[in-house]
Amino acid sequence: MSSLKSRFLLRIISTSVFILVSLVIAYGQQDADPNSPTPVILSENDSTRALSSVAAKPKSRTASRAFLPGQRAEIFVTNISFMDGEGANSVRVYIEDAVGHEYRFPVIDVRPSEFQRGVYNVVFEMTDELRYWIEPPTQGDVLVRLTWRGLSSNRVRLAYGSSGGTIKDDPGAVPTPFASVGKNNSPTAELVGYKWSGDRMRFLEQATFGPTQSLDSRIRRIGLRTWLAEQFEMSYPSVSNPYPNIPLKSTDSQAAPPNGCGPQPNPNTPEYQLCIRDHYQMYPIQTWFYKEALYGEPQLHHRVSWALSQIWVISGVDTQQSSWMIEYHQQLSKNAFGNWRTLMSDMTLNPGMGNYLDMIRSTRTNPNENYPREVLQLFNIGLFMLNQDGTVQVDGQNNPIPTYDQNTINNFTKVFTGWRDCRVADLNANCPDSVAGLPDYKDPMSLNTGQHDLTAKTLLIYPGVTNQNVPACTGCTAAQIYTYAYNSLNQALDNIYNHPNVAPFVSKLLIQQMVTSDPTPAYVGRVSAVFNANRNNPAQMKEVVRAILLDPEARGDVKSDPRYGKLREPVQLMTNIYRNFNVSDAAGTGRSDGDINRFPSGQGQNAFIAPTVFNYYPPNFIVPGTTLLAPEFGIFTTGTAIGRANIGNSLAFGQINVALPNTPSGTKINIGDLQALAAGDTTSNQLLDHLNTRMMHGTMSPQMKTTLMTAVNAVASTNPLARAQTAVYLIATSSQFQVQR
Amino acid sequence: MKQDRREFLIKTGCTLGMTALATQMRHFGLMSALAQKVSDDKESAVPNDYRALVCIFMSGGNDGNNTVIPNHNDGNISNYTAYSNARLASGLAIDQAALLSIPVPRMSNLNYGLHPGLGPQPAGANIVNNGVHELWSQGKLAAVTNVGTLVAPMTRTQYQQNTVQKPFQLFSHSDQVSQYQGGRSDIETYTGWGGRMSDLRTSPDNPSGLIPMITSISGAQLFTAGQTTLPLAIAAAPTGLNQVLNPAGYNGNAASNARLLAFNQLRSQDLNSQIVAAASHVTDQAIAANTVFATFQDVTVPFPNTSLGNQLKQVARVIKKRTDLTVNRQVFFVQLGGFDTHNGQVNGQSGLLIQLSQAMRAFYEEMVVQNLADKVTQFTMADFSRTFSPAGVGAGVVGTDHAWANHHFVVGGGLTAADFYGVNTTNGTPFPTLTMNGPDDADSGTGARGRWIPTTSVEQYAATLARWYGLPDANLATVFPKIGNFTNTNLGFMQPPA
Repeated sequence: MSSLKSRFLLRIISTSVFILVSLVIAYGQQDADPNSPTPVILSENDSTRALSSVAAKPKSRTASRAFLPGQRAEIFVTNISFMDGEGANSVRVYIEDAVGHEYRFPVIDVRPSEFQRGVYNVVFEMTDELRYWIEPPTQGDVLVRLTWRGLSSNRVRLAYGSSGGTIKDDPGAVPTPFASVGKNNSPTAELVGYKWSGDRMRFLEQATFGPTQSLDSRIRRIGLRTWLAEQFEMSYPSVSNPYPNIPLKSTDSQAAPPNGCGPQPNPNTPEYQLCIRDHYQMYPIQTWFYKEALYGEPQLHHRVSWALSQIWVISGVDTQQSSWMIEYHQQLSKNAFGNWRTLMSDMTLNPGMGNYLDMIRSTRTNPNENYPREVLQLFNIGLFMLNQDGTVQVDGQNNPIPTYDQNTINNFTKVFTGWRDCRVADLNANCPDSVAGLPDYKDPMSLNTGQHDLTAKTLLIYPGVTNQNVPACTGCTAAQIYTYAYNSLNQALDNIYNHPNVAPFVSKLLIQQMVTSDPTPAYVGRVSAVFNANRNNPAQMKEVVRAILLDPEARGDVKSDPRYGKLREPVQLMTNIYRNFNVSDAAGTGRSDGDINRFPSGQGQNAFIAPTVFNYYPPNFIVPGTTLLAPEFGIFTTGTAIGRANIGNSLAFGQINVALPNTPSGTKINIGDLQALAAGDTTSNQLLDHLNTRMMHGTMSPQMKTTLMTAVNAVASTNPLARAQTAVYLIATSSQFQVQR
Repeated sequence: MKQDRREFLIKTGCTLGMTALATQMRHFGLMSALAQKVSDDKESAVPNDYRALVCIFMSGGNDGNNTVIPNHNDGNISNYTAYSNARLASGLAIDQAALLSIPVPRMSNLNYGLHPGLGPQPAGANIVNNGVHELWSQGKLAAVTNVGTLVAPMTRTQYQQNTVQKPFQLFSHSDQVSQYQGGRSDIETYTGWGGRMSDLRTSPDNPSGLIPMITSISGAQLFTAGQTTLPLAIAAAPTGLNQVLNPAGYNGNAASNARLLAFNQLRSQDLNSQIVAAASHVTDQAIAANTVFATFQDVTVPFPNTSLGNQLKQVARVIKKRTDLTVNRQVFFVQLGGFDTHNGQVNGQSGLLIQLSQAMRAFYEEMVVQNLADKVTQFTMADFSRTFSPAGVGAGVVGTDHAWANHHFVVGGGLTAADFYGVNTTNGTPFPTLTMNGPDDADSGTGARGRWIPTTSVEQYAATLARWYGLPDANLATVFPKIGNFTNTNLGFMQPPA
């Protein structure tokens, strides 16, 4: 190969060639090539300076002019191909100045070049939209990067204010004139191994609680689409792991059995401890949850339910009994592949939610605003008007446009009054799970007609809204109030569901949960469109989930956008390591599988015990000192960073020992196969190559491999287990692995 | 010249600090800033007038209306009757006899009452002192009243007619928290006022950079994030300082050392991914601080074994190490959750205020022992206050909803005097008129709930603390960009710097 060509260039060219080739070769699965080409910004012939022009004068393709703040600039990009409808909001332009500050310039337009086939003109405005640093100084060259579908272009120079300055090109950067980019078509040797194995592993990280060797083999055989179809139809939860059937108890844990666990004996007894643990703590649902995550078949259903539980949050902080939480989770998971509007109904009348956000005690005479506020702000529409691609709408003064005000909350509050834990005495109440003398936290809430607000209400107002007024119910009988209240509730939920924000709001949250923290507006828009196209489809969420996972921004063997991906949350960091290495519970009882919650719990994610309704971490969290939108960093600090490394230590080198009575030790990884690899090859090459595929879907850099090899080979070759453990530990604790990308 | 221990630490500290900084620069590509820093490092002496601010965040929004209560029957301003009329029937009102009296000079020496949780408690677990109420009579406790998020001062009419910009998303937890912590209410911010203050004070007051100027014992918080200052976040006591950042599983043998070397080296690789770089950077900071936390001394005063007690205990340990850390100004963030008392407020808030009071008092006494009583100031913040009108009815059930202006406490030996501070409301005092649909209520009409419009902004409250901390007046507008909208930037509750 010519030494003047960068590896980078070769790879992008070869990728595009490979697409053509792969279309010809028939393969035993129905998936198309997941890879998108890597865009290339064109430069001058003999420098890395961008070929550019001021957008107002498209004919003047001179390179050396300096741009001024607020101007529109045009650069030229090749090796990129757009789907129908894919345009300016699918690409982002990042600028780095001489002191290392990064800015993002809004892309105004993307269109095919009138001069050259295969080239696109990208027009952007020289105005920072991140607004973290003060505006870039107009003192010379800046570096320009374009990202698209999780892929980064090369970086080229652009003169800002004046030409020149101190900024240095990226190492290895070469001129990318059209002549050189357009001609190279030699294939490379990088396409070895199974086709798209990197993409499969990434897919499994997004769709499950962690890849396993057998799942990877299966998807290689049947393809992503068939696997998704299977998952959509699979019963949930696993037959071998039904929801625990925990009876309702008294809200006073000290009541005598069977209603309570008390009074607490002195000295304490194991029986008392177990009674408390199994009824008044979240341990039963945590155990069930981790068993399903580690061993369950319906992984996708479990993963989507987990994502939903981080949107429609209720927490063990205020949810006294595991039976209440289990009922809530059943309602949630029932709708995970269902229709959002049905989910809204089931959540609104769920007594666990009612308790957590106080609707269960909100009455006409003493209304409570908690649920009405959060059902709007956190669960469905958010605070600001959104475009369909999830970007925020602003007014003439560039301020975000609020979706509602306190008055709206007051009106919704009135609609949500009068419901309470299901009582047979309430009109038309249906409480099959009720137990005499105990509050019913299993059946949907019933209506106390005497406490429903009967005044007129005005719901959300938004473009295209209809039916936003709820009339008063004057002179109504109890039966009329019953009908009125349920009609009002449905009208209010319809009013929310029909708000244009719901699709982009929900789509972005789910993408963040599953794929990447800062999706392009185009990606959000594509999923949002699917959400809207299936508004009345009982299986709406299947289409939404499919759209999220099969989107070109989610797919591909390697993602090079510096901002692509997401920090693994503690729960998934742990489950990914376990599942990757044939997790088992040594005693076979699964009881230790609940106790592993101690790991994520210490790192800010105590499963089902979020600190507040704002979840374990907020979806809009920006990493301090950066402009990175990265929600999971909300619980990533100096303290938890080390805590997470220590999870890696416990998992790689040990197993969970459980302290409670009658619970055996057990949950552990099994790395006999790695041990064999280490024993068979004392250079550790095989071990590390294998782990590169298995844990990092092929993204391990040569430098990283060298570092790992030195440490692994410092362990005596006579101890292949310790070598394998060392390798697993170092990868599991590396930032490279902590980030799912 | 003889090199004493302190000087030695400063010098080695420079080396370590530079290493940590260099790593940050590498992670974020700030090479020329590094060059700047090298020239700054020529100054070697750290001033020796230690000061620290400790922010105690009452997460969820403490009900100020049940925390500071009129304890008089003066007919000219809101009195106890006005309070009990609104809150007695529901079971929310605190019996007047139970209030802890505080005479308030600013209120013509009328009596006000603190929630009984702030005073002595019956003996029990985690009751270790007499609470903060006693500090009022010692002049070490003050209240800043009717404070809240504002873009600019606004009257009720202006609020109703929308003629003055309102803080965005009033009454929403996340937004009001970010405004309290961010130090401005007109737009969302990437940084907090604690972080921005540290950006400006790090060079003169923490040149060695052994640890960041800001420490959070409650995770990542906007308040603690600056543009160049990233916070240290560590676990609370009882975890020892030598354990909070210590990677487990290294036993010192050759293979272990090789593994540790690799563990550390990996963080300088693959930094093209900014997410990887960010994670590596935070971990680097942790490893650097772990080195300096290898030894520590425990506190002397008994602390309650509670969430806040253990957080403040950890703060006190870090402060006790200040000489080794060669840091002359520190900001701390601790947090107590559970104040979102939509229901069950009577017991809920009471338990939390007892916890708050016990922990703050223990911390204050520890500072006395460390001879830093007047060098360390605790202050409270919260999402917002809560509606004057209750939500729900019945002692076990009744709660309150989200509101706006609140009362906050400041504790420390650097206070001017025990008093109410802040800008006057329409009644000519800094305490709001407790009337639903009254002159200070943002709500109107018959359904008005009593959400007081603040007369003192978060920025005025914070700026008073920041000045005491040592932020030059010239930097006030950098840290508080909207401070110019408010006339008085010093509420007077802190003694002027000596």
